[in-house]
Amino acid sequence: MSSGGCDLDKAIQQLRACRPIPENQVRELCHKARELLIEEGNVVGVDAPVTICGDIHGQFHDLMELFRVGGDVPDTNYLFMGDFVDRGFYSLESFLLLLCLKVRYPDRITLIRGNHESRQITTVYGFYDECLRKYGSANVWRYCCEVFDYLALGALVSGAATSLVPTDGPMAENTNLDNFPDSDADIEIETLNANGEIMYRYARNSDSQSSQPNSNPASSSPIAPTPSRVGPAGTGATSSANGSVKNDTGAILCVHGGLSPLIDTIDKIRLLDRKQEVPHEGAMCDLLWSDPDEIEGWGLSPRGAGFLFGADIVKCFNYKNDLSLIARAHQLVMEGFKEMFESTIVTVWSAPNYCYRCGNVAAILELGEDGSNAGYQRRSNGDQGGGGGGWILGSNDGSSSNMVGNGNDRRLSSVLGDNMQRTRDGPGRRYRVFEAAPQDSRGMPAKKPVADYFL
Amino acid sequence: MSGQEIPDLRTLLGSRRGGPSRGRARGRGGFGSSHEGREALKDEAVRNTDQDAAGSRVSCVELGYLHDPYAKLFATQPATRRLPLLNRGSYVRTSAIDDLVDRFMNASTGPKQIISLGAGTDTRYFRLRDRYPDLQLVYHEIDFATNTAAKLTSIQRHPQLHSKLTSRSAPNPLALPPAATTYHSSTYNVHALDLRTLAASSEENTLPTLPNIDPTLPTLLLSEMCLVYLPAPTVSSILSSFLQKYIPEPTPVSLILYEPILPNDAFGRTMISNLSTRNIHLPTLLAYPELSDQRARLQQYGFHQGAHVADTASIWRAWVTDEEKERVAALEMLDELEELDLLLRHYCVAWGWRDSGSEGVFTKAWADIKEQ
Ligand SMILES: C[S@@+](CC[C@H](N)C(=O)[O-])C[C@H]1O[C@@H](n2cnc3c(N)ncnc32)[C@H](O)[C@@H]1O
Repeated sequence: MSSGGCDLDKAIQQLRACRPIPENQVRELCHKARELLIEEGNVVGVDAPVTICGDIHGQFHDLMELFRVGGDVPDTNYLFMGDFVDRGFYSLESFLLLLCLKVRYPDRITLIRGNHESRQITTVYGFYDECLRKYGSANVWRYCCEVFDYLALGALVSGAATSLVPTDGPMAENTNLDNFPDSDADIEIETLNANGEIMYRYARNSDSQSSQPNSNPASSSPIAPTPSRVGPAGTGATSSANGSVKNDTGAILCVHGGLSPLIDTIDKIRLLDRKQEVPHEGAMCDLLWSDPDEIEGWGLSPRGAGFLFGADIVKCFNYKNDLSLIARAHQLVMEGFKEMFESTIVTVWSAPNYCYRCGNVAAILELGEDGSNAGYQRRSNGDQGGGGGGWILGSNDGSSSNMVGNGNDRRLSSVLGDNMQRTRDGPGRRYRVFEAAPQDSRGMPAKKPVADYFL
Repeated sequence: MSGQEIPDLRTLLGSRRGGPSRGRARGRGGFGSSHEGREALKDEAVRNTDQDAAGSRVSCVELGYLHDPYAKLFATQPATRRLPLLNRGSYVRTSAIDDLVDRFMNASTGPKQIISLGAGTDTRYFRLRDRYPDLQLVYHEIDFATNTAAKLTSIQRHPQLHSKLTSRSAPNPLALPPAATTYHSSTYNVHALDLRTLAASSEENTLPTLPNIDPTLPTLLLSEMCLVYLPAPTVSSILSSFLQKYIPEPTPVSLILYEPILPNDAFGRTMISNLSTRNIHLPTLLAYPELSDQRARLQQYGFHQGAHVADTASIWRAWVTDEEKERVAALEMLDELEELDLLLRHYCVAWGWRDSGSEGVFTKAWADIKEQ
């Protein structure tokens, strides 16, 4: 598989058919991927438009469904927030395909590390066994684990539009039009089903905040309760009601798990030494393991790694780092996505019918590009592809110019003290919700490896 | 794992009750195309669930969740390590039932009886003998002949098991003939029969005799993933045979059920469809979808002194001590917490009893257990 070109395209073709590539090709692919990833900072800069995806977990056919629903690479830019492997039957094919796409179109696809991208976890949750089964040795597993160590820990999306250009697709069945915002409203959230039909639409600062999405099948997930109308005085984040101001959204931090008590600025993430197995504790571990929860401050995580963190922590972190939103994955959400803490953080889950058992739907989050953002720079398309480099945005300087000074705890506590409003309007968010790939195309092995239920 | 083995013809013969004749079914060229054929295949799938349960038990034991030296002696398949969340669930299942049984054993010093419905390869009898060597216990297990034969073969093969068949009154274990499907003694009894034959049928009121069932001993009926495979009216009828014919009033009787709940949400619907691809069907799951339905069902059976329910997620939270939780949590890294909660919420333990009230053995044993 010499650099880029047609060998890579052949490998992509083969993997798209869910057929593993030979061991020596995997070795080469992983080598190339490492060369590419080593150039990325711990926090990768990414420009909108981009489609943000959560856990995949080896559900290859559902990953194909995701590409069908969200658009193919390289036409759509993707950011995958980790947990490519384990649990599903096709971790190998899923991860290698994503890796091939990364090497082929480095500036079209971003992969960050999940807690399952680790030697220890993959030996318990299936990826190791799968490699052994498919290649007869652990070599491929070892190559992949070496790549895991180089994956970035987070991504910072900038240039996202504050309001959505509404989809003019048809309405989904059962959509209740009474709750729909006016056509000239500033659309903050739109939810579409796998056919692109509109399930739900929500206007920013709308008076109809009571218009919780009754008609939305996902309505049991608390979607976007009441975004605050006005940011704290002096932050310049006062938003206009009708979407005339479009470029005031802060950046969006993407990370697999969540925050860490050891990390109060994004710059601190940048300083970590990430090129190692995921440690059992410490900042790097927390970023991959933590969960938001309805608590105040920090709490112990029942997972035995990482922490729980409450709304105050998120709001403070977002304010301090000039973020409008944290997007993360890591937790199964039956409705595919779940916004929490007045939409300051969202969980995106992209493995439908998780483990072929949970019955959940999946979602991906599309962030549009902000047309009026002067700083927006179109990415090169990856067509000259293959070769390393390729990042137009430097990985280490993206959008940090507005940040409040490092580690300023006085500032932090004063924020906590008086005003916990959001400082930034969230980006316009389009969720595409989809179900598991149809049974017949899933190609489940005839013999399931383990008992799935208690019998 | 299932459905691929050759169906047991005895069941086919045993379940003839009208419908299309076998001749016609054969004529159409399909085993499985007749009503009997389909039913036989379903029974086959249900019988095979026992090795799933055995395998889950072995996985739990090997990883230190449960202490059970007998589990692996009954497993016919090589031990495969189950996922951490399945081990956790099996742990909660076994330890919750153990907890209820222990309280019964300790409630009074008198002799007691336990009847395990669809016992499969359950090891509870052997563990109880170790734990309560002096207690007078009459233990019964009921299962299909294929399963009881396999169990008795394992017992005969392993002295650790065989030696447990003795009691003070009968110190020498009976030698079992090869291919035995039943075993009877004053402490341990294995009955080979289809539970459906215990459903009191209106026409012929002849129930099979169950040797050594003592109609006077306080009796615990146990259905750990067994009655769920039968239609709800059949289950009612089987239980009324026990409660009225085999162990009539005023003998204290109780029932412990372990089975799935919540068939109508996304997880439940997926469970039903996944299991049906293995030809496993859970009729009572649909009949008693919620915890409250399980409670009402116990009352309907006549368990008026107590009828309680708890899902296994709440049992893990409320019944397991903090110390034990810590021990169990340290056994394996468990990442899939949301999924675990989802899974555990879909299984419940229900326990109900009939006795004389405040001085009754079950009231004493179970009155202060937290339900959900
Ligand atoms: C899932 S296994 C459970 C075994 C055991 N109770 C345990 O929890 O480990 C179900 C058992 O119930 C038995 N069973 C189901 N329906 C039965 C019936 N109609 N008559 C006798 N046994 C039955 C099966 O043969 C099987 O051994």
